[in-house]
Amino acid sequence: MVRTWLAIATAEFQVLTSSMRRNRKLYTGILYTLALVWAVVLTPMIYNAVLGAIFPMHVLRPMLMVIFPGLMRTVGLFLWLILLLFPLSMALQEIKIGQWEIFLSNNVRTRDIMTGTFLGKMGLYSLIIIALAPLLVSPFMLAFEVSIVGQLLVYGVVTLLAMGTIWLSNFLTALVQARLGDSSRGNDIAKALAMAIAIVVIIPMYGLMFFLPTLSEMMGMNAFLILPSTWFSDLISWIAITFNGIGLTGSQIMGFSTVLQLDMLVTSVLVIGFVLGTVGLALGAADRVFTIEAGVRTEVVTTVGRENVILRGIRKVSTGPFGSLIVTNTKDFVRKAQNLSKIGYGLILAIIMPIIMMAMDIEYLQFNEMILMLIIMMSLIGAMPFAGTGFLESKDQLWIIQSAPSGASRFVKSRIASQALISIALALIPSVILYFMMNLTVLEFAKLLGLGYVAVIGGMLTATGVTARNPNYEDTKSPAHQANVMTSVLLAEFSIMGAMFADIFLTIGTGIDFFGMIADFFGPGNMMVGMAVMGLLVQWIIAGVLVWSGIRYLSRPDS
Amino acid sequence: MTNNGIVIQTRGLNKRFDTVHAVRDLNLEVRAGSRFGFLGPNGAGKTTTVRILSGLMKQTSGDATVCGYDVSTQRDSIKAVTGLLPESPGLYSKLSAVEFLEFIGALNGRNGSALNRRIDIMLDMLGLEGRQNDLLESYSSGMKQKVLVASTLLSEPKLVFLDEPTSRLDPAASALVKDIILVLAQETETSFFICSHQTSFVEDVCDVVGILNEGALVTLGSPQEIIENTGTKDLEDAYLKIVGGHVDRKTLLAWR
Repeated sequence: MVRTWLAIATAEFQVLTSSMRRNRKLYTGILYTLALVWAVVLTPMIYNAVLGAIFPMHVLRPMLMVIFPGLMRTVGLFLWLILLLFPLSMALQEIKIGQWEIFLSNNVRTRDIMTGTFLGKMGLYSLIIIALAPLLVSPFMLAFEVSIVGQLLVYGVVTLLAMGTIWLSNFLTALVQARLGDSSRGNDIAKALAMAIAIVVIIPMYGLMFFLPTLSEMMGMNAFLILPSTWFSDLISWIAITFNGIGLTGSQIMGFSTVLQLDMLVTSVLVIGFVLGTVGLALGAADRVFTIEAGVRTEVVTTVGRENVILRGIRKVSTGPFGSLIVTNTKDFVRKAQNLSKIGYGLILAIIMPIIMMAMDIEYLQFNEMILMLIIMMSLIGAMPFAGTGFLESKDQLWIIQSAPSGASRFVKSRIASQALISIALALIPSVILYFMMNLTVLEFAKLLGLGYVAVIGGMLTATGVTARNPNYEDTKSPAHQANVMTSVLLAEFSIMGAMFADIFLTIGTGIDFFGMIADFFGPGNMMVGMAVMGLLVQWIIAGVLVWSGIRYLSRPDS
Repeated sequence: MTNNGIVIQTRGLNKRFDTVHAVRDLNLEVRAGSRFGFLGPNGAGKTTTVRILSGLMKQTSGDATVCGYDVSTQRDSIKAVTGLLPESPGLYSKLSAVEFLEFIGALNGRNGSALNRRIDIMLDMLGLEGRQNDLLESYSSGMKQKVLVASTLLSEPKLVFLDEPTSRLDPAASALVKDIILVLAQETETSFFICSHQTSFVEDVCDVVGILNEGALVTLGSPQEIIENTGTKDLEDAYLKIVGGHVDRKTLLAWR
């Protein structure tokens, strides 16, 4: 009998490794060998050396032991979220209902589709686990001197956590894809969801970076016992404690059990129950998930109404064809859920940093010192929503635009004008939030809003120029998209920072005090404002060149 | 705007993509007001030719003029007097049909009530009344094709390039497009350059047909001339005889 799940898994694996299709087996082998060497040899060696150099283990051990259960739960939650949401986010960027039609018309059982797609993904995610898990687990293995058997058991639990979570993620992905359907509207919502999911992963990541002790304390609370990640983490903790090589006493083990609450047996039952439960749930519900329902939820017909006051205002101010282009471009941008989701993502990223810094209670935190950082974050908000997608939907759309005289130039210029209008909101929202949160004066607010708007526009121009030079259309999984987003964000941010570094090097190199000159020019206490202005100047020059070359690139005929 | 009544003239036009020779030494003349049908198998070079002639792609060698303008140096002038219906619909999913046509009008330097009136009439004519304010994401592929047909004709081009204009249309809509082409050609002297696989459509609509095979123009003449010269009963048979493609019954079952 033909094993259809194996055929599906093979196809998934072939898609995943298409970039190395000439020597698929050789490259896969090399990658796994490198990952294993990293996990088994390099990571313990590096940790030993680094920890030994900074904190001798006898100093570090008591500290690690105290925070161990809470920290393990934090690490577990982080790993769980990545494994659950990252594949979901990736899959949502490319709805694959069309493939289901092929499977179902070939009489493939739905549980085989589920198993095949899951196993197909395992190749990549097991590599991630092999690379990541030792990094997170090794310090505790060293601190508790866990025996080989214990370590094998720990990695077994990590594998179980990974496989169970990816299986659940695979099931959820199928569920969401089936509900959204393969339509333009469904794809848009899916991409918006993918971005929203990324935010959920980002926040605990920031937490890990900035609030580790607080988060560990919080994760030690009983409320977190309801999270499956906690069960896996607690089981790892129990194994490490049970197989320790440092001779923990009975009272010390009792101490751990008061924190962990559930004993090893109950935790093991919960872990196995979770894995079996998700496998059973997914297989049981497979028939109901893989149904092609002519897009009941996606075939919603949206009829546009009368234009709002802003769009009517634009038409009054700009009465010619250019005004019409601004209006249609604005409508196209703001009606896409994925664009709004990217704006939300950028805003959260920009606001979260000052909030974290304030929560850390830094005494020297003054607006004038923070302005440069705030401006850099605002340029990120400008670059994010306009980089990669949201510019052109397809190559065919570009043909249509190019078939008008000077079409590409008119298109890019009107696109920039409509994006500059959208950018008003992008500068205003974080400025208002920070005005209240940081108790800014009206003058400080005006500085933030003014410079912030310039930064948002600078980021937007950079992103537009970069994307015009390398349009990736709607394909958010393409290397072109990743390159556009990364280049836009990095250029927008580093052009501002670059000016500061240039000042440092010039000051050192020439002996001329450039910082002093800036401070003299902008007045005492305003040196960072001056640095921000200088950075923005550099950013705008780079952005201007990029837009100019982007227009030229889009206007030229294909060769 | 024409060159002695010629709207398209190519001399030794070539296009290469690495190892693929997409268009080979194309020498062609299309008269003003004519309806030129460009037939050929998939990958024969029809779309590439249209892209070169409409100023969207550079040729590798050779010359061409469109409406008297040079394709190498006067691309914007060519775009101002031509319309292009691309092979696949590149519509904005989040705009309505009216909004999309307004966008195309604005790209061509038009706006205002005259444009809006024209859009309304065209959408009515194409049977999209009542759906004109719905977002294009909810349109079927045939409806999208109708919107594209409207966008191509919106600026009253002197020469229209149509790449597979009826491939997604139902018979009634195909007949409508056919009638629009015939009326515009007769009443307004608009010239049409139509790429298609549908030999019956080309036979009904076009007065001159060119057949392209592996990048080279292998036949040129009126549909009747081509049919007579090949000794066949219709353009489809003539096409198959020229290009090849008849497969005998034994081969058809050989895979079993």
